[in-house]
Amino acid sequence: MKKMKNIFTLLLCLLSTLALAQKPKGDVLFKNGTVLTITNGELENTDVLIRDGKISKIGKDLRAPKGVEVVDISGKFLMPGIIDAHSHIAGSAINEGTSQVTSEVSMEDVVNPLDVQIYRALAGGVTSIHLMHGSANVIGGQNETMKLRYGTTNPDDLRFEGAPRTIKFALGENPTRGGRARGIQPQSRMGVENMIRSSFTQAVAYEKKWEAYNKDTNPRKVAPEYDLRMQTLVDIMNGDIIVHCHSYRADEIYMLMKVFSDFDIPTIVFQHANEAYKVAPELAAFGASASVFADWWAYKLEVYYSTAYNATILQENGVLTSINSDSGELIRHLFHEAAKTQKYGNLSNDAALAMITLNPAKQLGIADRVGSIEEGKDADIAVFDAHPLSIYAIPQMTYIDGVKYFDINNDKSDQRIFINPESSIDEVQLFEKMDYRHRCMEGTAQFFGANLFKHKH
Amino acid sequence: MNPVRKFRLYLALTLSLVMFGSNVYAQSDPTGTSAVTRTFAITNATLIAKPGSELKEATVVVKNGLIVNVGKNVTIPEDAEVIDATGLYIYPAFIDGMSNTGAKRPDNPQRPQNLFTPDPPNDYAGITPENSVVSQIDINSNTISNLRKVGFGISHAVPYGRMLPGSGSLLILNDAEHMDDILMAKDISLYSQFVGAPGAYPGNVLGIMAKFRNLYRNAELHKKHVELYAQNPSGMERPTNDRVSYAFHPVIAKDKAIMFDADDMLDVRRAIRLKNDLGFNIMVAGVKQGFYVIEDLKAANADVFLSLDLPNKPKDSKDDDKSEEVSRLEERRMEFYNMYVAQAADMEKAGIPFGFSARGASAGKIKTSVITYIENGLSEDAALAALTTNPASAFGISDIVGTVESGKMANLLVSTAPYFTKDSQIKMMFVDGDKHVYEVKEKKARKKSDSESTDEAPAAGGPFAAVLGTWSYTFEVPGQEQTGKMIIKMENGELSGVLTSTDGSPDENMNNINYRDGELTFSMSIDAGGQSVEIVVEGVIEGKEFDAEASVAAFNVSFPLKAVKDEDGK
Repeated sequence: MKKMKNIFTLLLCLLSTLALAQKPKGDVLFKNGTVLTITNGELENTDVLIRDGKISKIGKDLRAPKGVEVVDISGKFLMPGIIDAHSHIAGSAINEGTSQVTSEVSMEDVVNPLDVQIYRALAGGVTSIHLMHGSANVIGGQNETMKLRYGTTNPDDLRFEGAPRTIKFALGENPTRGGRARGIQPQSRMGVENMIRSSFTQAVAYEKKWEAYNKDTNPRKVAPEYDLRMQTLVDIMNGDIIVHCHSYRADEIYMLMKVFSDFDIPTIVFQHANEAYKVAPELAAFGASASVFADWWAYKLEVYYSTAYNATILQENGVLTSINSDSGELIRHLFHEAAKTQKYGNLSNDAALAMITLNPAKQLGIADRVGSIEEGKDADIAVFDAHPLSIYAIPQMTYIDGVKYFDINNDKSDQRIFINPESSIDEVQLFEKMDYRHRCMEGTAQFFGANLFKHKH
Repeated sequence: MNPVRKFRLYLALTLSLVMFGSNVYAQSDPTGTSAVTRTFAITNATLIAKPGSELKEATVVVKNGLIVNVGKNVTIPEDAEVIDATGLYIYPAFIDGMSNTGAKRPDNPQRPQNLFTPDPPNDYAGITPENSVVSQIDINSNTISNLRKVGFGISHAVPYGRMLPGSGSLLILNDAEHMDDILMAKDISLYSQFVGAPGAYPGNVLGIMAKFRNLYRNAELHKKHVELYAQNPSGMERPTNDRVSYAFHPVIAKDKAIMFDADDMLDVRRAIRLKNDLGFNIMVAGVKQGFYVIEDLKAANADVFLSLDLPNKPKDSKDDDKSEEVSRLEERRMEFYNMYVAQAADMEKAGIPFGFSARGASAGKIKTSVITYIENGLSEDAALAALTTNPASAFGISDIVGTVESGKMANLLVSTAPYFTKDSQIKMMFVDGDKHVYEVKEKKARKKSDSESTDEAPAAGGPFAAVLGTWSYTFEVPGQEQTGKMIIKMENGELSGVLTSTDGSPDENMNNINYRDGELTFSMSIDAGGQSVEIVVEGVIEGKEFDAEASVAAFNVSFPLKAVKDEDGK
């Protein structure tokens, strides 16, 4: 009955025209696979029991409780679902690039559950993404951490409930390009630093005004102006929001750490960070972390220098490091990207896989829930036919909260959950150039008057 | 068309709004004041006084704008003009939930020199909630008479603009000397749409959501301040005369709802998010994907207006060799089309009272859309309620309009057959007691073409024989007449065509050509001075004559386009 119920729940979810009040949770027993735990090595011939969406037991010869579906994974590899710390899929908009400080905007308002790229990411073993605001402005919008529960039409069903708030900052060429095009600050790296410092300084004053107002016992007191932008900056300084900063050069990375020290902001995650290896000890000392590409650089001047050893050097220097996609295409084979750290740096299997699981989970503040196969964690799981660090590995099944969202044996040719009735059929092709278009500067073309399609990050 | 000519057409289209405002199409009594009497007795009709009721051999007496008597054996006043409505049907005139009726689209605000994009002036940002649609209304706009012609007596007119263009008002769709004559209720809703400012903040939905919250929170603080100051100004800072905040005061007090134009379900959800964050009363209009958000709309206690601008039915390829994959994709596309056209039935099943909004739907499309909703499961009673009693109650005017009852405003629709049948035509409209008479066209052409097509071999174009060939057209833009050939062909199972011009300009492609039940529609996009303008042409083919209306939604105007089929297709 329970199995029937599960299937029914999943069906409902896939065909849903109704908002599901509760997110579906599954029960399943994975039998006899190689379990890549990340935190406790690789366990052969091991079973993993999922109850009510959580990993309830890891061990040998587990018995399926009544009604729990058994999935035989003999010869297969089970790992925690992949987490992409930098993604722009499933967003109706990416940049509010018209202002250089937009801390008040939030990607939670633009989650698009209908984007078929969500399914394609699931087919690459990805279970969570960090939907980020773009890099057109110095202080961009707040990001949204999501679970890829594809099949619903309600954006709320995709939220990673309880995940901490995060926000996007950006340094270097992208925000200064916008500033120069519009004739406003910042037009140089100096301006970027100044803009961050002056924004936080204003936020300090804003907080003081409101503190004074709240303390005032006069019943006829008049409130100061409310400013969601300033309030968000106050929340950053109070440590309630994790900053994820688009950055490339070592000097700008070092600059931001100095600024954050001055304003007592406890941590930063540097995104891209192609030159982070040059300041690895400083990052470690600060407690900052990095989310990088495996081997991708030289696509514009400020990213001229980097190395495929970046991730390893950072890791070996004690910097928490993850590897991200920032792309609707790369997201489908992040396990290949992680494997590159073995070619370039000889990382252990656990350390290499942690780059796309536990480490991004820590950077997003969700490591107590996901990122490794441990009892008590969410049953967000990817199953491969070979070791995921092998170039021959193909993802087989992907589960979130114990519910299956991808199965290679049930992979329909048309997985869209929405079709515009006025679209023409020839628009519908498997290969979409869109996936290769990078969205980090989307919506800003009008300022540059140039074709941005070739632009990368 | 060459660039200069295109620009002239563009100018003509724009200017005509100002100079040729009165309806070139007017078939109704154009002066209104010439009526000898304002007392009418419409006798011996079938009366549908409200959804679900029917009274045969009924008489409705109208006097000085009011319905004064309804029933079977009523006394007819001596001064009444008696209208024998034998065989005719009387309905309450319809109420439109949202459109830009009568409004003239203002020029886009000029981009200021040295615009500081993070903080543009309010009118560039589109934040003008203090405005009223009334300031945009041109009482001579043909959109008023066009909407009346298809059965409407009242429209909730909303202003053009961006994020917060201003308040919407209820308009009585009558000819008038002065705005005051047709303004039923001013500023009944605060209107909002998810439209950003070009290249300035808020530029898109990200900024709009944040800016909305910020404006609202400050308006709450401002309202509190104003109230405290009113109690006792002594020793207190003077509240600023902030017109944006003031515009939100009645919304915060829940005296006024915010109406969002939210066609897709993500916009509906965003509007509801704002409502849940901030707590105002909400109306959503222009809804096209209601099937996704039924529970949400219910929970938000939203007043809902479904769009009458339905998607065109997808045309599957007629190619015999089409692959199985293409057939599958076509099938799925049709599945989604079917969801769109069934949304009204879904709402009815879920017990959500809803109305319709005419925005985006050309006058000619409105009835087709309602009938499409009915063909896809909506009951006729619910359809009539959506056009009458539901919007009346959403706008708080149920005591005045929405049914044909003694004491109510004389807003009546008189049709030649039950309204929800394809062949019914509107013969008369009464709006606020004023009579408007329309020419009833005899539909014999179709039968003729039917018999023609059965006589001919099916190879000669089959069901499309009536449209295929070369036509000579005249497009009557005021002050300028354009003529040329309209050539329609069948290629690979699809209709295609071009409009040529006698002045030697390049041909214009006809897009989205559709021919069904004697009605031909197509669209053209012309480049008018760097701006692409979409012209939608809709009309009826009777024999060798095509009588159409070409409307330009961007300017809210329409012009006649007539064509005659050339002999022998030459």
